[in-house]
Parts: sequence; structure tokens; C-alpha cells
Amino acid sequence: MIEFSTQTKKKLEECLTHYPTRQAALLPTLWLAQEEFGTVTLEVMEYVAGLLDISPAHVYSVATFYTMFHLKPVGKYHLQVCRTLSCALMGGERILDHLKKRLGIEEGEVTPNGKFSLCAVECLASCGTAPAMMINEKYYENLDVQKVEKILDELK
Amino acid sequence: MPKIKLTIDGKPVEVEAGTTLLQAAETVGIQIPHYCYHPGLKLAGNCRMCLVEAEKMPKPLASCVAPVQEGMVVKTNTDNVISLRRSVMEFLLINHPLDCPTCDQAGECRLQDYYMQYDKIPSRFHEEKVHKDKMIDLGAGVMLDQERCIACTRCIRVCQEVAGVDELCLSNRGDHVTITTFPGKELSNPYAGNTVDVCPVGALTSKEFRFKKRVWFLESTSSVCPGCSRGCNITVQHQESKVYRLLPRLNSEVNSYWMCDEGRYGFDSVNDHRVLRARINEEGVSEEAGHEDALVELASLLRETSLSEIAVVGHASETCETLENLQQFAKNSLKSRYFFYSRFDPPHPYSDNILMTADKNANQKGVDQLGFKPLSDLKSAVGVLVLRDLTGQEMELLDRLQIPVLAFFAVNESPLCTKAKIVLPIPSYAEQEGHFINVQGKKQKIVPAFEPRGESRLVTEWLNDLKDLLESAGQKKKIAC
Amino acid sequence: MALVLTNRVGLKDSHTLEVYKKTGGYASVEKLFAMEPGTVIEEVKSSGLRGRGGAGFSCGLKWSFVPQNIGKPVYLCVNADESEPGTFKDRLLLEEDPHQLIEGIVIACYAIRSTTAYIYIRGEFDLSYRRIEQAVKEAYQAGFLGKNIFGKKYDLNVTVHRGAGAYICGEETALLNSLEGKKGEPRIKPPFPAVAGLFGCPTIVNNVETLSALPFIINEGALAYRKWGTEKSPGTKLFSVSGHVVRPGTYEVPLGYPLKDLIYKDCGGIPDGKKLKAVIPGGSSVPVLTAEEAEKTFLDYESIAQYGSMLGSGGVMVMDEDVDMVWALRNLSRFYAHESCGQCTPCREGTGWVDKILQRVLNGGGTLEDLALLKEISDNMMGKTICVLADSIAMPVLSFIKKFPADFERYVRSHSAGGKMRILG
Repeated sequence: MIEFSTQTKKKLEECLTHYPTRQAALLPTLWLAQEEFGTVTLEVMEYVAGLLDISPAHVYSVATFYTMFHLKPVGKYHLQVCRTLSCALMGGERILDHLKKRLGIEEGEVTPNGKFSLCAVECLASCGTAPAMMINEKYYENLDVQKVEKILDELK
Repeated sequence: MPKIKLTIDGKPVEVEAGTTLLQAAETVGIQIPHYCYHPGLKLAGNCRMCLVEAEKMPKPLASCVAPVQEGMVVKTNTDNVISLRRSVMEFLLINHPLDCPTCDQAGECRLQDYYMQYDKIPSRFHEEKVHKDKMIDLGAGVMLDQERCIACTRCIRVCQEVAGVDELCLSNRGDHVTITTFPGKELSNPYAGNTVDVCPVGALTSKEFRFKKRVWFLESTSSVCPGCSRGCNITVQHQESKVYRLLPRLNSEVNSYWMCDEGRYGFDSVNDHRVLRARINEEGVSEEAGHEDALVELASLLRETSLSEIAVVGHASETCETLENLQQFAKNSLKSRYFFYSRFDPPHPYSDNILMTADKNANQKGVDQLGFKPLSDLKSAVGVLVLRDLTGQEMELLDRLQIPVLAFFAVNESPLCTKAKIVLPIPSYAEQEGHFINVQGKKQKIVPAFEPRGESRLVTEWLNDLKDLLESAGQKKKIAC
Repeated sequence: MALVLTNRVGLKDSHTLEVYKKTGGYASVEKLFAMEPGTVIEEVKSSGLRGRGGAGFSCGLKWSFVPQNIGKPVYLCVNADESEPGTFKDRLLLEEDPHQLIEGIVIACYAIRSTTAYIYIRGEFDLSYRRIEQAVKEAYQAGFLGKNIFGKKYDLNVTVHRGAGAYICGEETALLNSLEGKKGEPRIKPPFPAVAGLFGCPTIVNNVETLSALPFIINEGALAYRKWGTEKSPGTKLFSVSGHVVRPGTYEVPLGYPLKDLIYKDCGGIPDGKKLKAVIPGGSSVPVLTAEEAEKTFLDYESIAQYGSMLGSGGVMVMDEDVDMVWALRNLSRFYAHESCGQCTPCREGTGWVDKILQRVLNGGGTLEDLALLKEISDNMMGKTICVLADSIAMPVLSFIKKFPADFERYVRSHSAGGKMRILG
């Protein structure tokens, strides 16, 4: 059985005070769950459903609708490369291809040591500083292959 | 409510404010094709099949959600509207597996129907279809083919709005949207069968019914579910004296568009374990008999006793007419005043605030109105004539009081079939006409779907012949004296 | 050039309350509370401020649709779900000047008599999220939010709510559903949010940029705002310029500004001496402009409409002569297929179909019939659905094929249905 830590429970309680319904806190609660458990597994979804008095089916439909919830484990560093037009115009596809080769994984995969996972994402609103990617929550912009190499080297 | 005037396809229409265009059109006999709209469910507006044109409106309107407006001029059959429907059909079919020959929905599939009506062009889709899971046993007797689904969400809404549970959902998004339960959980609400009814395509099919019969072979008869005192209005679908499925039939005062699964799948008693020939039980030996022999035997048994001390035992699941006949027979032919009844009393009857009642008898109000008394009130009798069945407790009571079961009017096999001296087969509710009075006091008619099966005869017929036999025997006796 | 929205951009610690106040921040408040809410609405109406999320609807007029005294709370939802490809202007305002937004929220809430606002911010925004969270916290501490704000008899609570990755949540009713803990599926209208929105209550959804213009309008007055822009498109607007320009970035210019100047003067023109080929002027969902059209048009709602396109969100995507328009369109079709919520048939099926055809064309397997089919599918998607996501790919498809036919025909030239060479007339 999984359970939120006392601290997360407190955060959730505080969060619930902002909304007139418990269901409205679903996205914030899923974020808390992802922060705490790393992956939004079926078990996590059922736990969240219980916390908010909503059905597991509803939580499942929501968790699979949004792209940012990790339904499967991701690497310690989750690389999300923008592939939409402005980045693509500036060579975003090359960045993605390079990362695939360099890490030896395809989109949606995790390196065997669990350090990196890679995926392509749609527009990150970083079009003026293209090409861009996110590693975990952080933006990396104006990328080129050399810069990507440097970033990877710095991630320990 | 204020009235709104508009014209639809040139016809003047006057409806209450808040009425949708689709409903308004129906009032003047104009049917607008649709998938997601269901009159018993909340509006979704997603299938876009019901698009119509209105003058001064720049875009087509989804008639299932668009409210009427004063002076509106609506057109549902222009070339443009027809081409809109054709394009929605095309979109719906591009990722559909087009597996009609092996799909059990064939014959009652709106994709087929509307394709023939509006589309009828070969596919222009040359890409790889989106693949999803097939043959998923969702639980509760419902099978899911995700590839056939058109994402109309009727099944989700029927669970939410009728059964009051949120068991189904659409996961993912775009053309990957998929109907599913929470992974690992089964559909488990007692109204799950309605999801199959409302599914306009072959995505949800009934495990019980699928592949048993192509629907175009089936005949339909209006009836009332005998499963509990609600008396949900149903359609019995049958062929060659066999029931294949029961479907709910609209009655806004009783069951709306719905029925429970217990009632829906409770037609075994019509098809199976039937008593179809009369039987005579003598000293532990049971022999089948023709109906005349059985009746003659019964008449002679009756004559050996004091007729007026014979009790008749009706049943809370029999029609008012059958019960009346039994009562008249007791009064007039037996001169008996003992009218009792038995009832189905399962130990833990499921009930809810939706449709299902705890009383699993269709006509408790009927036996009450006719003045039948519960069999447990019986103190003494020289013998009983029993209709339909007795509970174990009631049989013990008869044993204790040493009252023999002289005749058993049987639909289905029962321990009474060996206990009774004479067993006379009678038809199920699907083979007779009559009325049940439901829990609300509404008297509702059942209609025979087919002739009484085997050698079963209506209770009236048995009793009329028995009456004749008893009377003629009485005369003979007189003459003999 | 000091304008309306970006005066603090580039200042050190511009995102802090300290710097904001030092540079005239929250000055509009005294004036605001001296006005009646109705007067505020009138002032904003006369400023001509139009919604900067993309639709360009009059902000003041939208506010005036909120029914009063119906016994339900009124909500303000701030649309900070900036997701339209090519658009990154709200991100700038959130990162650089979050207090300006909060001041705008105070003005809007006061005008529509709301005491609760939610800032719906896209899930990917990290720095923006931290900055606006921090700014809200500072504002609470300073008594600018919470109970009796600014010492007035007026409460206002603001909650920052993170999205989780769904472009469609930028559509205002999808945003409301998402805020209620549901999938971001757009709602059927009517009812419009102003009447029945968040939790069934009257709700105004305003874009970050729209709200950020309010402190100026209240401080300086509607007329001062109208100093900029055109009669029908008054004021200034942020344009995010990306793609093939020397200095991409977000620029605040008066509406009616020549697109040519934006590209060639402000952004330094096309790199490497290349020629301009195409410009998407208002975020990826609006029809594309040819170089010739782009060099002639002005950046206001009406001028762009003359070339069959739209100002949209102000995301200007610039493409040089080397860009393969089939490749570019396929990039967009993949985006919209990925982002369709899946509710309406034409969008759910059409976005995926268009994407698959374009992918096939790009891989060399296209025919002339495919181009006709793409046009027909797009026509069948446009205006047939609950929201405009379907239109958002239909418009690019139609305009790309119409305005850059040679790019498309090059791909299908050698592929007819029967695999024979087809001579193009």
C-alpha cells in the first residue's frame, strides 16, 4: 500500500482549500503524487481517487489525457526534446537524432542504467530560443550538438 | 414555458423554449441521424452526425445540442447537410475495422444503416488504421471491441447517469481515445447490459447474446419483465418458441429506457428446465401423460375429497387473469374459500433506488387486490392445487399439516413435480396474455410472444376442462343414483 | 521604446515586488478603488483592448456579459496555458513581470466583482511557474491579495494552477474543465463561460497579455492606450518571432505595425542572406502568408484578414527559401493530431488522417489525388466541431497547398494512383 508522506498530506490539505470541489484538486494531486512516487502507476491512481472521492476510472482517463504524467518509469534525467515547427526550423530534429544515437535509445525508452530517458514533445513555447529541450523541469535552449554534449557531460 | 416558433424544412414548428433542434424536428416527424445523442442521457454533442443548417448561421449546428430560437429557419435535408453527414460517416469509418461479416451488431448497426443512407462510397483511406484491443471481456456480460468504438460516450453516460457509477471512461486522446474500465477492474454494475443497448455500433456486445442469432431473424413482442415488482417494459426477442434476448422498452413512468441485468438475463425459465408434458405420480413412480388422462386422474382424485376443503395456491408472479380464473374455479367449482398464494422469496434480494425492487414477484399487488392470503396462514385443508411453485418453507408446512399437493400447475421443474400427484404444464409469461400490477399500482399488459410450448396449456384451459369433468361426473353420479 | 507591456523587461529583478513597486507598480490601485466596477468596464471598453489569446474579442464587452447578483460566485481564470506553436510572449510576461499580471488580475476581478481568480499555467513552464507563485506569495504578504486588499473592503484570492501537458487547455472551456479536475475537453456553447463557466458559475477567461495591459489603461486612461494602434485594433501587442530571423524574440509593437519592419528591422532580417519564403503570422493555426503578402501586411486584426490570415496569438514563424513546405505542414499536422482531445468525430479522425497522408506524401508515396483529398478533408473538418482545433490544422493545410503548390506538386509528380508518371498541366 502506498501513502503520501506527512509533508505531502499537508500540502494536499492546503491545496484542497483553494477549490470548492475535491475533484478540482486532481491535477495538483497527481503532480504531488508524481513528485513523491516518481511514476503515476495504477496503484497511485487508485490512491489518488480515494483521496479525492472520485472514481479510479476518472483518474485514469485524466492521467492518460495529459502528457506530463509518467505512467511508466522515466530516467533520472528525463530529456524532452521539442519537435514542433519553430524548433524544427532551427534543427530540433538533429538534436533528437543525436540524442538517440548518443544514448542508444529510441523515443519513449530509458537507458539500461536508468540515468536517461528520451522523448519528443510538442511546442515548449521556447520558439525564440530554438531548438529547445527540457530535462526534468528545466529548459535548455539555443541548442546545438556541441551544447547538448556539454549538458550531458554535466549531468551526473 | 414560453413557446418558440420556427420552421424546419419548411414546416412550421412550435415548441417550448430550451427544446433542441433535433427534438423540435421530431415533433413534426423529421428524423435527424445521430450517434451520441440519446433521449435518456445527458448531451455530449460529439459525433457531429446531426449537423443541420440554419439561415443566417455561418456554421452548421449540431442539432442535438443547439436550442431553438424564435424565427429560426432550419434545413435538415439540403445537399450540403447530406454531404456533411457523408463526411462524418467517412471520418467514422476510416479507423473502423469494417468487419461486418463477423460483427454481431450487423443488422442493428447505425454505421451500417447510415452508410447505406448517406455514404455509399468506397473508402478513400489508404493509411494504416489505428489499432486497439479487441475481444475484451469487460465483465457483467459485456464484450468490448475498441476498434469498432466511435467514442460517442453513451456507455460512459449510461453507467454514470443510470447506474450512478463511474466505471467506464475514455482514456488517452485524439484518435487514440479508448473506452475502458480502470485497468484490472471489471464492469460490475447491475445495469451494465444497458451499455450494450445504447452502443450504436458493434463496440459493446452481449456475451450472452452474441453469435446466437443474427438479429434480422428475430421477432419482437412487447411485454413486461416479470423479474421484480417494478415491471420494466420490455421487448421479448424470439424465434421458434425460443427467447434470445430481452431489451428494455421505453416507459417514462416506469423504467424510462432501461432495465436491470437480473431481469435482462432472467429468461432461462422460458427456454430451459420447462415442464412440457403432464405427469401422473403414483406411489413414487412418475409417468408422463396426455392432458386428458392427467385431467381425468385429477378429477377422480378431487372427487375422493371434500371439494370445499381444497385450498388453491396462486402465485405473486402470475397474471391477474390467471389468478382470477383460479379464484373463480375455487369459488364456483370447488365451493372453496381458501385462496392462498406463494411468492418467490430469495434470501437476500438485491434492491436499489433505481429500478430493482426487493420484491422479486411481478404481481404482488395483483394477489393482494384479489384477496389471496399468504400460504403461511393456511391451517388445514384436505389438499392443495398449486400454481407455479412453493418455497421450501411452504412445502415443510404442507408436510407438517399432512396436506397433499393434488395438482401442480408447473412452468419449470421443481421438487413439487415429484411431490404433487398430478403435474400439469402451463406456459411461461412469454406465452400468454395478461396483466401484472407493478409496485406503483400500474396495471401493465403482457402479450404472448409465441404459442404455449410443448403440451403446456393456459391455466384457464386446464381449469375449464377440469370444471367440465367435475360437473359431468357429478351428473353421472346423479343419474347413477 | 517605452510602451505598455514590456517596460520592465530586462531590468534586474524585474519579477520582484520591490522592483515592480519602485517602477510604478500597483499605482493603478488607488484610482481603481475610486471607480465603480461598471466604470472600469466602460474604461476598458473604450480603450478598445481586444483579447490577446487569439480570438481578439473586446475585453470590456466580454466582462459586461457577466450577470450580476445571481447568488453565485464570479470567477476570473487567467489563461497562462500558452501552447500555440510559435508563441512565447506570455512566458516573457510571467517570467519578467508577474506583478504586472497580478495588478491586472486585481483590476479585472474588481470590474467583474470576483473575489477568486485562478491562474491556469501550462505544466511545462517551470521558471514562469516559480516566478508567478513567488509573486503571488509576495502580493499576499504585502496585503495586495487576500483579505481586505490594499486596506480596502475587498477580498481577492488567487491560486496558481498547473496544467499537465495538453495544448487544448488553452481553449477557454477546456481550460475550465481542466481546472475542475477533468480532461481538457472543450464544452458545448452556449452556455458561454461568462454565464456558466467554472463550477457552473459566471466566469471570465482572460489571457495573460490582455490582463497585463490593464494597469496601463487604468493608470493612463483609455485614450492614452489608443495613442497606439489603429482605430479598430488599438494599443500595442506582443509578437513572438521565431524561425529564420537574425534576432528572434518577443517584440512589443503598436498594432498596425508593418510585418516587414518587424522581420527586417527589429529582427534583423533573414540570416545568411537567404530570401524570405513564408510567414505564419499568428501562431501555427492561422493561414500562412507568402513572402510577398508578408512584406505588404500590417500587424492588426483587419490588415491580416485581407490576406486571408489572422493575427491570432501573435506567434510569427518565419521561413526562409530553403524550407520545404510539405515538411513544415507535416510538422504541424503531427502537432494537431497529437493534441486533438478526441471528442468530435471530424477532428479526432481528420487530424490523424491528414497527418498520415502528409507523412506518406513526404515519404514519396503521394499522388495528385492526395492533394485534392487533403483539401476535401480540411473542408469537412472546418467549422464542424465543438472548438476550433480542427480548423487550426485545416487552415494551414488549405493555405499551404494553395500558396505553395509547387512544393506539393514536386512530391507527387512521379506518383499517380497507378504508379505511372503523371504530367502536370
